Order: sequence, then C-alpha cells, then structure tokens
Amino acid sequence: MSRFTITADDVDLAQLREDLMHPGSGGFCSFEGWVRNNNEGREVSGLEYEAYTELCMAEGERIVAEAIERYGVLAAHCLHRVGELKIGDIAVWIGACAAHRDEAFRACRYIIDEIKHRLPIWKKEHYLEGDTAWVACSHTERAHEMEPPHRHDRHEGHSPAHEHGHHGSTTVAFTPDYSRQTRLRDVGDIGQAKLSAARVLVIGAGGLGCPVISYLAGAGVGTLGVVDGDVLDASNLHRQVMYDARDVGRRKVDLAARRVAALNPTIAVQTYAEPLHAGTIADVFAHYDLVVECTDDLASRYLANDAAVLTGTPLILASVYQYEGQLQVVSSIPGEPCLRCLWPVQPAPGLAGSCVESGVLGPVPGVLGTMQAMEALKLLLGLPRANDHALQLVNLLDGSSQRLPIDAAGGCALHGGCVAVARRAIASAQGQRDIDRTFARLHDAIAAGYAIIDVRDAEEIAVQPLPVDSLCVPAALVAAGTVELIEGRVLLVCASGKRSGHAARLLRQRGVEAYSLAGGLTALSMGAET
Amino acid sequence: MTHVTLQYYAQLREQAGASSEQVSTGAGNLRELYDELRTRHGFSLPIDALKVAVNAQFSDWSRVLVEGDTVVFIPPVAGG
Repeated sequence: MSRFTITADDVDLAQLREDLMHPGSGGFCSFEGWVRNNNEGREVSGLEYEAYTELCMAEGERIVAEAIERYGVLAAHCLHRVGELKIGDIAVWIGACAAHRDEAFRACRYIIDEIKHRLPIWKKEHYLEGDTAWVACSHTERAHEMEPPHRHDRHEGHSPAHEHGHHGSTTVAFTPDYSRQTRLRDVGDIGQAKLSAARVLVIGAGGLGCPVISYLAGAGVGTLGVVDGDVLDASNLHRQVMYDARDVGRRKVDLAARRVAALNPTIAVQTYAEPLHAGTIADVFAHYDLVVECTDDLASRYLANDAAVLTGTPLILASVYQYEGQLQVVSSIPGEPCLRCLWPVQPAPGLAGSCVESGVLGPVPGVLGTMQAMEALKLLLGLPRANDHALQLVNLLDGSSQRLPIDAAGGCALHGGCVAVARRAIASAQGQRDIDRTFARLHDAIAAGYAIIDVRDAEEIAVQPLPVDSLCVPAALVAAGTVELIEGRVLLVCASGKRSGHAARLLRQRGVEAYSLAGGLTALSMGAET
Repeated sequence: MTHVTLQYYAQLREQAGASSEQVSTGAGNLRELYDELRTRHGFSLPIDALKVAVNAQFSDWSRVLVEGDTVVFIPPVAGG
C-alpha cells in the first residue's frame, strides 16, 4: 500500500489509524495539521491547497520511507489534503507506529518537517477581508538536522565506511574561534593546523570519554572517532556530562556525535556502535594518529594496547576507582614501555573494581578524562611532556599525585619485546572470540545443545535465579581449577559476560568445549523466558 | 623491627580503611610484608594481581625492607 496519499476528499481518521495497527507496536503517534483562523496577524476564513501531484507523490513516498529507515519505525503514513479547506479541517495527517514511543514521535516530526520543506505544495489563504494570498509551505527549521544519522544495524560490524557523518557541518554556518589557544606561543596557527589535520579515536564515550571528546572537539581536532556499544543509562548521568536526562536509552555514539556537532560543527565524527574486536582493531587504528582509551573494560584496554603497539599508534590509558585514578601514556615507540610491560597479563575481571560494583564520584573520571585530553593535545601539538614513562597515580581525596617510572627493560623486553607480545596476544584474542555465543533466550541455547553453567555467586543467583535448569559453579571455583565434572558443550552465564568469558577461556585450556553467553544475562531479551 | 610508611590505593585503601599508615614490621621483604598486611586487613587481592613500589620506584617483591622505606601497593583498576 502507498505510504503517502494526496487527496481532495475528507479524511477517515479511524481508517488511517487502523491501517497502521501492528502487533509489534508499543507506541503510535499521530500528527494533525489543522487550518487555523489566522496567519501573520490576518484573520483567515479558509484556504486552498494546490499541489504538483506527480512530484508530490514521489517525494512524499520518499520522505515516509526515509523516516521509517531513519528511526526504525514499523509503519508510517502521511496524507495531505488539497483543494478548499475551512477552519478546523485537517490539512495534513501523519501517523507512525513503532516498538517504542520515542521512534514514533521522531518519525512523525521528521515527516512533517520534511513535507513542509520539500513538497511542491502551495496554499492560498482566504482572508476575512475578502482578499487572498499564496503562501509557500516551506519551513527552514528541521529538528532532526541537529541529530546524528540514525541507523538500525546495531548488530552489524562497523567498518570505517559505516556511520560516517560530518554532523552539522552542512547546516550550521559557524566559524570556530580558537584565539584563546592559538595565543599560546607553543600553539599558534601552526599548532592549530596540526590539530585540524589530526585524527583521534576515543574508545568509550562514558565518564572518561565525555571530557576527552568535549575538549578535543572544542580544540578543533579535525576528525574524532567514537567507539561505544552502550546506550545511555540514567545511572551514567552523574559523571557523563555530555548527556541529558531525556537521552536515556539512546546510543551513546549517536549522542556523542550530536554533542560534537552542537559544540563544534566543523569536526568530522565517525562512530563505531560496536566494541572493536581483535579481528578489526588494527585496521581501525590505522586510520588514526592517536587513540584515547576511556572504557571501564580491562579487556578493551589490553586489546587497545596491543593494537597500538602493533600499529605504532600512541595510546592514552586511564582508569578510575572510587576517588582515585591511574594514567599511562603508551608512546608505541620501540623500546618504550606499554601496558603489558607493567601488567603483563590481564587480571581476572573480579580483581579490578568497576564503577558498577565499587561506586565512583562523578568528578573522578572527569579529572582523569581531562588529564587524558591534556596528554592528547600535548602529543598532537608536540608540547613538552614528562621525560620518563610512568604510571601516574592520582588520589583526589588527599590531593596527592605520584609518578612511578616504568622500566621497559623489565617488561615485555624479557618476552621478545612489546611488538612480539602484542602480536601473540591479538592472535590469541582472535581465537577466543569464538568463545562468545549470543542467544535471545537461554531456552534457545538448551535447544541448540548447550548445558548451562551459572558462574555467578550464590547471592546473585538468589536475587535472579535462571529460568532454566543449570549447574551452579561460581567463577572463582572455575578459576581455582577445582571443577572436574564439567564436560560436553557448555554455555557459561554471568551477569555481564565478563566472568563467564574468563571462566570459559580457563575451561578451554582444560579441554572443555566451553562458551560464554555474550553480554551475560543483561543481554537476554527482557521477559522472554517468563 | 623495621619502620616503614605504607600507602594504599583503590581496593586496598578501601579494605585497610586508610590511604596510608606507619608500621613496624618483622617482615624481611615486600612479599612477607604484604602477607602480614593481608592477614591484618583482610586484603582480598592476591600478590600476583598487584604492583608494589618503594620510594617512588616499582620494585620486585623479593626486595629487602630498609628502615624508612615508603611502600606503595597498587591494584589494577578498571573504572571509566
């Protein structure tokens, strides 16, 4: 059925609404444009719409299709009246239904804005005084222009060609004023040109990533890549200062791109809505001059380190815990220390505290992220930096900070050097990708022949028992090697997929055909099994 | 007995209930010192998950304690 109608007939609202009913819809939104009794101070008695019908049909269909694609709504329809209309008549009707209300609202808004902007429709207003005037139906303000492009391919991989957006640069005429930083003798116009030509990848658009992205965009770093697989949660807002309460539930990469477009429309933003993995990370790094690691994930940090060393890309690492943080700059220059020179092997997930488990005060990632941004600008501008390669510890309770120099000779050098160590680690990580399995429901995993092993602690299991038969073996017991009964093809399950992934790798080393539920229980379809 | 100053970070600070303390210890080296502290404060982290620094330099766990040393224990942290 056609999604766009142009008609001189009366509107059957009930029918229009019914045509859009869809069992998968959780929200329906409609917009009605009415004929009002005044325009620009003149009283209107009625009006007449005239359309270039053939062009309107083609363009109208296109607009509705764009809205469906852009916002992932299930169905949408737009009807535009032509001919003579009186006060209170419906001139335009738009309806959209979607799984969630937000998409429906946005699709409606998009369609009406584009219709007003693009369709060759004119209206002739009849004024009470008896005269008439043709009024162009075009508006210039389109709310969605300030949004990053929407795509609904959350499960696809993202090559650099995907999701490329020069957000805002086509719609906002804005000349950045960098005078406050170019005034610095060590920056100047030459430094500004360096920043403008620079390409920086920020992994993680959370507590650390917010200041990094904001300061680098503000400083005029020409291209910013942003990697984040998460959507915004209300619990992020106390420390992730680029985002608003109304953004909860939306993808952080889209929000970050929107923020950069609003802050400095001259910056090109490239978004990656899935975490980078061992198979592609080096290719992605090759497109950037510098990488800033801002996730709360140890595995991501190690992977970034290995890819940075292999591609010779400088990497700025930071992490926080409650009221303190750690910072390390990996130059990726041969002979200078990397993350593995200090911590050769990734600690088990339970050993390093996270913001979720341990808590954190908002300004702590704010300070450490700001320090990362400072290090990034220093590297890009060639400003003076500390001579040593150190782990910097910052305690924001007592205000102390100390630098502990890292001895490269005592690190990877003992194991063939950083590059050889990184190459082995990436190859091993690539092999272990095979461990993750994605299921919407645990029943599907059982049907596929997996036995379920719950590696959570007894207290967690008591709060949220699994809806299927499972063997309970806490991750610590798997790590301790005290489990001998596990055999056959097993799927390990925990809350987030981190502990189960680690435990599955350990079991693999003991010859068990072990897999890990990717994303853990939180990634299962909500309520699908109850 | 050797008198040393201890500094704790992250989980260790939390479990010790303080950022630093001064102790007199009979421990001969850093490994023995950490074992002693682990018993006293109930530290959950095993020694191989930690880094230790003495007088602002990363150090080997077998380093012998010297009167007046400042010892810093550093766990890995992951928050972001």
